[in-house]
Amino acid sequence: MSKVYILGGAQTDFERNWTKEGKNMVALLREAVADGLQQCNIDFDEIEALNKENRIAAFVGNFIAEKYTEQGHLGAFLTEVNPAFYGVPSARYEAACASGSVALDAAQTKIMAGEYDLAVVLGWELMKTVDSATGGQFLGRASYYDKESKGVDFPFPKLFGRLADETIAKYSLDEGRYMEALSKIAVINYANAKRNPLAQTRSWFMSEEQARQRGTETNPLVGGRLAVSDCSQVTDGAALVVLASEKYVKEKGIKDKPIIKGYGHRNAPLLFDKKIEESAGSEYILPWTRQAVLDSYRRSGLTVSDIDIFETHDCFTSSEYAAISAFGLTEPGREYEAVESGLIDFDGGKPINPSGGLIGCGHPVGASGVRMILDLYKQVSGEAGRYQVEGAKNAMLLNIGGSATTNYVFIVGRE
Amino acid sequence: MNIKKVTVIGVTGTMGANVTGIFASFGNAEVYCVGRDIEKVKATIPRIASSVKAGSIAARLIPADYSMLDECVSKSDLVFESVTENIDVKSEIAKQVSDSLRGDAISCTGTSGLSITSLAECYPEEQRTRFFGVHMFNPPYSLPLCEFMRTEYSDDSIAAELKSYLSDRLLRTVVEVKDAPAFLGNRIGFQMINEALQYAERYKDNGGIDYIDAILGSFTGRTMPPLTTSDFVGLDIHKAIVDNLRSNTSDYANDTFALPDYVQALISENKLGRKSGAGLYQTVKYSNGLKRRTVYDISTGIYRDIIPHAFPFANQMKKNIAEGDYTEAFRQLVSNRSLEAEICIGFLLRYMVYSLYCAKEVAFTCEAADDVMAAGFSWCPPLAMYKALSSVADVKSLIKERIPEIAEKVDMDELLKDLKPSKYDYRRYFKSGR
Repeated sequence: MSKVYILGGAQTDFERNWTKEGKNMVALLREAVADGLQQCNIDFDEIEALNKENRIAAFVGNFIAEKYTEQGHLGAFLTEVNPAFYGVPSARYEAACASGSVALDAAQTKIMAGEYDLAVVLGWELMKTVDSATGGQFLGRASYYDKESKGVDFPFPKLFGRLADETIAKYSLDEGRYMEALSKIAVINYANAKRNPLAQTRSWFMSEEQARQRGTETNPLVGGRLAVSDCSQVTDGAALVVLASEKYVKEKGIKDKPIIKGYGHRNAPLLFDKKIEESAGSEYILPWTRQAVLDSYRRSGLTVSDIDIFETHDCFTSSEYAAISAFGLTEPGREYEAVESGLIDFDGGKPINPSGGLIGCGHPVGASGVRMILDLYKQVSGEAGRYQVEGAKNAMLLNIGGSATTNYVFIVGRE
Repeated sequence: MNIKKVTVIGVTGTMGANVTGIFASFGNAEVYCVGRDIEKVKATIPRIASSVKAGSIAARLIPADYSMLDECVSKSDLVFESVTENIDVKSEIAKQVSDSLRGDAISCTGTSGLSITSLAECYPEEQRTRFFGVHMFNPPYSLPLCEFMRTEYSDDSIAAELKSYLSDRLLRTVVEVKDAPAFLGNRIGFQMINEALQYAERYKDNGGIDYIDAILGSFTGRTMPPLTTSDFVGLDIHKAIVDNLRSNTSDYANDTFALPDYVQALISENKLGRKSGAGLYQTVKYSNGLKRRTVYDISTGIYRDIIPHAFPFANQMKKNIAEGDYTEAFRQLVSNRSLEAEICIGFLLRYMVYSLYCAKEVAFTCEAADDVMAAGFSWCPPLAMYKALSSVADVKSLIKERIPEIAEKVDMDELLKDLKPSKYDYRRYFKSGR
């Protein structure tokens, strides 16, 4: 099996509102492709040349463009970006907010199997085409729509509000202590985003005081005990990475590029009630999330002590909270310790989301998995600029779809 | 620099309120909010909090009136004056502030037009070392530009500390400029806007105001067309800025700061723009809730429906931009020789040239022009515009060919020598809208 190298990539500026700019998905894809390929020193002529020998393919991650932009058949759209993609095998991959990861998984599998030498992985979502209530309904399709989301305003904040309730109940947590931890998680993500020049919230104000004042005019409750400050953003954006085989890297004399060292992919029961019912017998509130992490440790031969940074799926503060023990940073039920001690702070030893995460950097749902692996690439390659965590050698991402239904984990590191 | 307590004077004004929000949020400072009428100040507090979308800062805002000014100032690490743009009023405030200003405190003015040096001279000599111009743009929560001016009296190490406080703590895009009329951002921005007003008069028979706005719409690298911007800012404020520049600068663009007669007439009728219900545009609201946006017709002197101008070059550019084909859009702009395309490219080139020209005169680097236009106006900044046009043409030749009258007055070789690449991405500024 071939090793899978990450050559680099690019993300668009998540602050941008493409609807306000009057631009469509082709414009978005053109920018992501132009910037991503340039960063990898690949031009369209090379794509054409590789394609003549059937050595390149493209993998597109997107959740629900059919709703947001009235468009399907998304794999075909690279041909609108540039004629160099005529004839290049390309398809769209979908697993709700883990769509980017399922595209990555397909791409790495083809590289490992020696089918292709170069894989262009592109995740994207345009979400600002509709108002937030309509968009919230679209996102409800990541749950069992008829049973969990139909006719419900903002179904996902409510589901992750329930995760908060269930976490408190399962571990008999002090509610104040738990909510304090969630506030701090939000503030860390906003603070980290200030260092990221492409983060959506880099110019926004957030403080612990503000995050704590849930249920006020500027921080209204949106799902049970969760308020706006606990939520990830509605974001337009795309992210692109290029994966390569050992053969390609050797041919081109490319050195010092990181590899994908391991991954995990597990699906939990779709319905939130069934998740909680099933997890009653486990120490973990999200046992399949934990299992995906364990699978990635097994495949990579690494343990939590080897991982220098984490990019997690903080669609809500309650999901980042649950991820802390899933990663193995604390015992399940004691996640607050990692928050209170500063362990997950930017300079805390095991930083989570130096990019700002989905709360700070933004969450164009189909792009997030790809954006995360791009950030792992940047961190372990020393290319993260102002949000570089010094000396990062190995890094992990957790990307989830639905209410932690699809769970994807990747470990990226230096060889 | 540790700024824990701030006094903002003139807090009920738009800028006073918004600047207060910045100090109280990012700066985490306790702010004494001083205005003439304490009840009005109290009523402003929620507006301040909502300007930074954070109700939590209200607890740090302390309402006060002028009778409490001495007490507020004596407790403050920084005093920010944001009262009306009148040298007599400001000098009176400066005298009051100086009586109770602590020896280690900073004092700033938010003036957009008056001389910082003259205002510094309203303070006793020992306090002038700690006096600076700090000019933010409205609304500062979304426009991070902060022009910074020191004077011959200023202490350089304090200036350096204050600049890093403004950039690192308050997250401002700090651009140091000289104490020149209207500073840098407004000089560049209002040159173009006022010249657009002049063009509206020249082309009044083609449509005038809405005609020029249609030629210089968001597809030319901005959020709002220039005359819509003037209407939004207020024609009285526009006049104050361009009159200042007309009288107190003397460069090649001086004539473009002359306010057209029709604008003066609108101001005399108190038609100041959006804030007074009518100006260059007027939105008529009917009792059934319907709204109709009309425009002032310069030829007839009445408000009429906006003409949906459709120029082939503009339509093609918008179509290209919608699909992210910027190069094709610029190719159209440069190759189309219709009157409207010529007007458009002429404006963009003059804007670029004047920006770089002013940066040399008023600022300390070329990039300053980029920062002020991106962070203060959300316009495609000049160096990014240069890069954008370079994708389809040799910009220097284009300048000589399309705006020869400017090329004669400015040494282009000198102006365009050693230009640094812009740190701004031009693509986000070119939009496919009106």
